[in-house]
Amino acid sequence: MIIDLEKCVGCHACAIACRAEWEVPTGKDSAQRERRRNWVLRLGPSKTPQGMASTYYPGLCNHCDKPACVDVCPADKVEATFTDPKSGATKTMQVAATWKDPFNGTVQIDKERCLGCGACADACPYSARYVNEEGGEPKADKCTFCVERLAQGLEPACVQTCLARARIFGDLSDPNSEVAKYVQKGAVKLENAKVKIGPNVRYYANKRDMHLLTTTSIPKTMPQANLRRTIMARMLKPAMDQVKNLGMLGLAGVVIAKGLSEDDKQ
Amino acid sequence: MALNLTRRKFLQTASLAAATAAMSGCFADRAKAGTPFVKKPFAAPGSFADTKTVTGGICEMCFWRCQLVGKVRDGRLVKLEGNPKSIDNGVSICARGNAGVKLLYDPDRLKFPMKNVGKRGAPEWKRISWDEALDECATRLKGVIDKYGPQGIAIFPHGCSATYPMNFFENVVGTPNNSEASFFQCRGIRDTAYVATLGVPPGENVDMANAKAIFLLGGHFGENVHVSHLKRYLKGLENGAKLIVVDPRFSASVSKADIWVRIKPGTDTAFLLAIMNYLIKEGKYDKKYVAEHGKGFGEFAKGISHSSLKWAAKTCDVPEKQIKQVADTLAANAPNVSIHPGRHVSWNGNDFQRERALACLTGLLGTIGVKGGFVPGKGPKVGKVGWPKLMSEHAEQFALHTMAKLYKFSPPGTPTDLIRNTAVTGKPYAIKGYVGWGQNPIQTIPDQALTIKMLEQMDFVMVCDVMPTDITMYADILLPELSYLERYDGYIHKGTQWNFADPQQQFIAPRLPLVSPIATDHERKDSIWIINELAKRMGYGEHIKVKSAEEMVEKILAGVNLSIGQLVKEEGIHLQPGADPYGKALDVEFYSAELAEAGYSAIPTYVPVPEPPKGFARLVYGRSPVHTFNRTQNNAWLHNEMPNNPVWLNDESAKKMGLKEGDTIELVNQDGVKSRTSSVVKVTPGIRKDTIYMAHGYGTMNKAMTVASGKGIDDQSLITRLAVDPETGAHGMRNNFVKFIKNGKVLSIPA
Repeated sequence: MIIDLEKCVGCHACAIACRAEWEVPTGKDSAQRERRRNWVLRLGPSKTPQGMASTYYPGLCNHCDKPACVDVCPADKVEATFTDPKSGATKTMQVAATWKDPFNGTVQIDKERCLGCGACADACPYSARYVNEEGGEPKADKCTFCVERLAQGLEPACVQTCLARARIFGDLSDPNSEVAKYVQKGAVKLENAKVKIGPNVRYYANKRDMHLLTTTSIPKTMPQANLRRTIMARMLKPAMDQVKNLGMLGLAGVVIAKGLSEDDKQ
Repeated sequence: MALNLTRRKFLQTASLAAATAAMSGCFADRAKAGTPFVKKPFAAPGSFADTKTVTGGICEMCFWRCQLVGKVRDGRLVKLEGNPKSIDNGVSICARGNAGVKLLYDPDRLKFPMKNVGKRGAPEWKRISWDEALDECATRLKGVIDKYGPQGIAIFPHGCSATYPMNFFENVVGTPNNSEASFFQCRGIRDTAYVATLGVPPGENVDMANAKAIFLLGGHFGENVHVSHLKRYLKGLENGAKLIVVDPRFSASVSKADIWVRIKPGTDTAFLLAIMNYLIKEGKYDKKYVAEHGKGFGEFAKGISHSSLKWAAKTCDVPEKQIKQVADTLAANAPNVSIHPGRHVSWNGNDFQRERALACLTGLLGTIGVKGGFVPGKGPKVGKVGWPKLMSEHAEQFALHTMAKLYKFSPPGTPTDLIRNTAVTGKPYAIKGYVGWGQNPIQTIPDQALTIKMLEQMDFVMVCDVMPTDITMYADILLPELSYLERYDGYIHKGTQWNFADPQQQFIAPRLPLVSPIATDHERKDSIWIINELAKRMGYGEHIKVKSAEEMVEKILAGVNLSIGQLVKEEGIHLQPGADPYGKALDVEFYSAELAEAGYSAIPTYVPVPEPPKGFARLVYGRSPVHTFNRTQNNAWLHNEMPNNPVWLNDESAKKMGLKEGDTIELVNQDGVKSRTSSVVKVTPGIRKDTIYMAHGYGTMNKAMTVASGKGIDDQSLITRLAVDPETGAHGMRNNFVKFIKNGKVLSIPA
């Protein structure tokens, strides 16, 4: 996806359309993460070397090439087969409750297998994930690039509602696509030397707005791994695999859970 | 940070994992495994899943009236989208339009007729039946009429549904005291100034999509959002139009501008006069157009000849060469120039003259009826139905501005300031009945204390609204209205395709309900039903022309051989071929004999406005893209986007005052009036030192608005010094000055 800040007027329609489409609750989750799939932050007016600037940071999941959120998922892995809609080729992989689709490149969550632990949300440098605790069980949630709408022949909700047509959705691998042309024109990723995981949302803006965007909205560092969560995730993964392999009904889980709940009290 | 994984959850997931593991591991099989721990689906299904698309919605989150479809699942509206058949907004709607769902299901909405058994301003509500409510309204309004005459009633309407009540009270009951906020606190000045100059009210009818230059005076598009209007603007910019923005603040439009005129607030007319004088002196105006269509050009040219660039530069605090640059840019791109008339123009009490100057500049550049210029579209006609004008003569006889020989260019209705003063003083007659319909004068009209005084002296106060806004706290009887998503209300939206470069088309789109108004948890009604029932009880039943809102829509449509059934078949929007909007010239009253005769300045004149006292800066307010006035402040989705209204302060001033970005502050004005609530500071180089800016529409005091109550600062509470435009009687609301308060300490603003 390309976001053209030359066109964007900062109206926030994208953020609200997404909320309506995917019933995203407002406010913060219990770990104080903003509950959002899609957001608009207002930047400036501030001085830049190119002059006074004021622009917006319309953000969403970057569906990164090397997503930080996928590997940290502690859920048991299952075998999944993906199909390339263009060639019909298939690929079978072991995936946890969140994965990167090898063909369309999107990062998705299997809500039914998600543990709701929030490890993925903490791992995302862009704060693009939160945990939705409104349902019966907490579940990680984030932008899906509206693959469900695309399957119906519809545009992503944020793209459809954009009065400025500032959001351009398309196939970067097709050099004739509008998105590819924006990349040729100089649309940039919000990344730097420390945060370099291949985001796939790119921004196009004039020099002063680009300066303001990149100096305010590129994450400074990758999130510090949460030690306890990492330990938990490591403990959980083999336990889950073991459960799976041995078909033991939750025995290992009970042992770990006991330890965890005691840990929580400290 | 504590782990979120609780013991119970973990046990469940572990067991679930095991149960799942016993299956093949393929996603498709998972459903068969059964998921006893899943209480409800984890993933929202999307608005397209198992929904019916209902057409015929007309948005009223603001007044622009975008055409909508509703995605309805089991009778419940889940999402609003632009109607794909629309040639106006298309599939796009703005943040507020998208958030209409949250208004519809706002738990704070008014649900039942209520009687105030407490005090006005500190109400205690008792639920009553519609019969009781209507009987009491009828008896008490009739009581006012019998004792004081029809003029003893004042009506404060706003929105589509208020037209029917407004016409009832004006035409049938016979009161002239109708204060529309859209006129007297907003655009009325613009409309009558353009009528006096070009003969037509301008709307926002500039063909920006096809302009080579766009000139905005305070327009902050992007913060101010109306979909097809912004489409025109953005198309123009995309086509390379030069954008000139005059604003003391680096607004959303300034960020896209080629020229930012960082003007001293209140001096805009001086700026415009200098531009026009320069264009005339240099011969850079449209001589042919002026010769053919200009009236009194000689007097005009002579009358503004003192308005030098140097004088304006000093008055407006902008560089002389920049004024020249703006004038030259306009001349170089004429006649394809959009001189935007503005919309909210009730600024400083000298506003009619500024709007006259804008209309004259439009004429001087010959930018009328041409590509990119001032071009009213040629929309379709529809039928008409409404109350007969039985009492118009009586109403006119008691019109306060006519009686006082004031405000001879007042827009329709009576200037609010006169209504309020008359009510408070009882002179020249008593005003003892208040009817509010969709308007919240507490946050709309300056000097809240005086408005409250007006309300307190009333014999009866009746308010009908959708939400419990601040004015509802002062009602004796409070009536709950259906929202725009659940009702017919006799409103037919009509217009043309947004870009005049496209094939000419017209549309007719009546508001049809997207969901049923019937529910067990409320007794809301539409305005046609309510007013008809009231009219019957007040003895005016014989004059009723339509029995229901639906019948009203049918009758209006029948005037052009359409029907609701036909519109439903046509997916909510009737399209028909349009007419070429270009080519119509308008005469320009550069010197207005009419104004001279009425005792006003016949040529546009700059009237200086009060300067900030030492230590204060001028309070200027504007729009937030997620709010419409104060009407949307309780919308949970919109509130979440911008929970308060940061107060813009110049960065150098902030440094001297010891204020930092995000500091919690209050404001106090020149009369010692403090804001009831607090907000935060926004420290930026993008505002003048003599100006403080904040978005309007925050800080409601009604605790029944549980989302918005006390959030942000109510700018209107700080506007206590009145300015009244002498030609129109409309309020000017930017002649108030503030200081900051942090931790109880008042902080002066350095010059």
